[in-house]
Amino acid sequence: MSEPVKLEVTDLVKHFPVRAGLLQRQVGAVRAVDGVSFKLRRGETLGVVGESGCGKSTVGRTVMKLLEPSAGRIVLGKADITSLGRQAMWPHRRNIQMVFQDPFSSLNPRMSAGDIVGEPIRNFGLAKGSEREQQVAALFDRVGLRPEAMRKYPHEFSGGQRQRLGIAKALAVNPEVIVADEPVSALDVSVQAQVLNLMIDLQEELRLAYLFISHDLAVMRHISHRIAVMYLGRIVELAPKEALFEQPLHPYTEALLSAAPVPNPRIKKQRIILQGDVPSPSKPPSGCHFHTRCPYAIARCKTEDPKLREIRPGHFAACIRREPGETQPALAPAQH
Amino acid sequence: MNAVTDQLAPPILEVEDLRTHFFTRDGVVRAVNGVSFSLRPGETLGIVGESGCGKSVTALSILRLIPRDLGRVVGGSIRFEGRELTGLDEQEMRGLRGHRISMIFQEPMTSLNPVLTIGLQIAENVQRHLGLSKKAAWDRAVEMLSLVKIADPHRRVHEYPHQLSGGMRQRVMIAMALSCDPQILIADEPTTALDVTIQAQILDLMLELKEKLGTAIIMITHDLGVVAETCQQVIVMYAGRKVEEAPVEELFDRPMHPYTRGLMAAVPRLDGRLEGGVRPRLQEIPGIVPSLTAPLPGCPFEPRCAFSTEQCARHMPPLERRGAAHDAACFEVDRVLEKSLV
Repeated sequence: MSEPVKLEVTDLVKHFPVRAGLLQRQVGAVRAVDGVSFKLRRGETLGVVGESGCGKSTVGRTVMKLLEPSAGRIVLGKADITSLGRQAMWPHRRNIQMVFQDPFSSLNPRMSAGDIVGEPIRNFGLAKGSEREQQVAALFDRVGLRPEAMRKYPHEFSGGQRQRLGIAKALAVNPEVIVADEPVSALDVSVQAQVLNLMIDLQEELRLAYLFISHDLAVMRHISHRIAVMYLGRIVELAPKEALFEQPLHPYTEALLSAAPVPNPRIKKQRIILQGDVPSPSKPPSGCHFHTRCPYAIARCKTEDPKLREIRPGHFAACIRREPGETQPALAPAQH
Repeated sequence: MNAVTDQLAPPILEVEDLRTHFFTRDGVVRAVNGVSFSLRPGETLGIVGESGCGKSVTALSILRLIPRDLGRVVGGSIRFEGRELTGLDEQEMRGLRGHRISMIFQEPMTSLNPVLTIGLQIAENVQRHLGLSKKAAWDRAVEMLSLVKIADPHRRVHEYPHQLSGGMRQRVMIAMALSCDPQILIADEPTTALDVTIQAQILDLMLELKEKLGTAIIMITHDLGVVAETCQQVIVMYAGRKVEEAPVEELFDRPMHPYTRGLMAAVPRLDGRLEGGVRPRLQEIPGIVPSLTAPLPGCPFEPRCAFSTEQCARHMPPLERRGAAHDAACFEVDRVLEKSLV
């Protein structure tokens, strides 16, 4: 029995035009998201991980319809929201809410915490007066904030408390899907643990679906059920987290995992140090976007676009050197 | 351990009872409140802690880079190669900074001049400190760029900081910092702003250069992973104080201070087993860091500590030797050690 799909994204593309010259003609495009597909089910956390510029935040903003998709399809619940305008999108916003990295910049400094959390309830006309107040109080309790905090203003809260406030605000309209973009990256580790635990508790209680965007592999490994690894606008690997961490199939995932420092001085990891920097997403390399830095690249990688294929059950990778059904653990380095 | 570190050599840097205060409208912020440590030639010393613990202010105090109108070192001593730095005038400090002791920061753009080529910036530094000719200084700049593995250094030396990627800028910073063969390199969160694959490149480079040049490093970070992979000796700071110090393996094997243990248990792990779909709870450290303007009479960690007693609330635990080369500031070390690590 699998849970119903709450968010389905198919071949999502988001290009940003690059303009130049006196007439601001379009001279190119940054392909921030270049054909991304995934499904997110009720009660599930899908982690999206990658380095700066890989397009992970753009995916989040596009499914939130804060950015208009250039192509592809976004289905929220049962509704196709791909081409809905601002007005038409409004009723659907109840079902998808966002939690940001820096809660401070997303909270109105002139509003009390209680009003901030109550605002979406008012906007959607869900409750009035004392009923609304009760709902807000229940939300404060749910995210671990004291009721007195309702009268405080955002600057009076610590970073971790502000993130609790951001989560309470997102939950106010009972959404089914939460897009969380680096929600714990700005927090110190002791506070980060509090917020991660809270998010897991809420998910289990309310069966929320999380699209959890982060660059932090350890956080990802902790909170996600499945993980999508992005590189230059594309998903290069998508798998249940156990499979991804224990047997990564894509060379980029392998390098990423080997690069992360482990807090244990007795583990001396065999590091794969990638050469060079991530190429610009306005001029991605031909063929496999990763071939310029890949230790296993062969001639075909320069010309052939690798498709995301199911190599093992539920474990997808976009690498032409992997074949569906194969069990070979490691790739042989390319001969140069 | 490391071949370059000489355990018997006298320390090149000795910091004793350092106190740095900031004077704000809300009162005196005791950012660093009596910190002592020493650094040996060729050693990598980690200073770890969360925001506001005083780790960066400690580093800035050593180089006297605290903005004068905000705060200053109000007590303690800083001896570099036996010479007291706190009494030096600004002129003499300038001769040390970037020459004998240099520093790199989290964001390289804060220390690179955007309107000068990177070659000129490195050359200027060596001209000033080493008195090299213009030509020799320029050659040195190219040599330093190739030392930090910037491809095509003869061309790159003419480029401006904005033409470089984040990782390359950090390499340029390291090249500049090492251009005068310093005895000490202070690195303040040098890889925090970088992506993980670039972080791996930079840490690798720093360790390789340390071996090659014998520079001692003070690595300031919030990341226990970075500490474990790069440091030999580690200081844990909390609320302006040193709460624990030990060699790296000893610290991770037998953390003695409840705060150190809390930090270790709070980070999600990349090692360890994954049990089908189960997400174990992370151990939280309840509450938040105390205010530095109104210090508590007792241990600053007491309000958040699972081991606290009445004594802890009333008296500040002194930093004491608790094992081979292992110091901790906690009255309850014996009870802490009885509890196994998770």
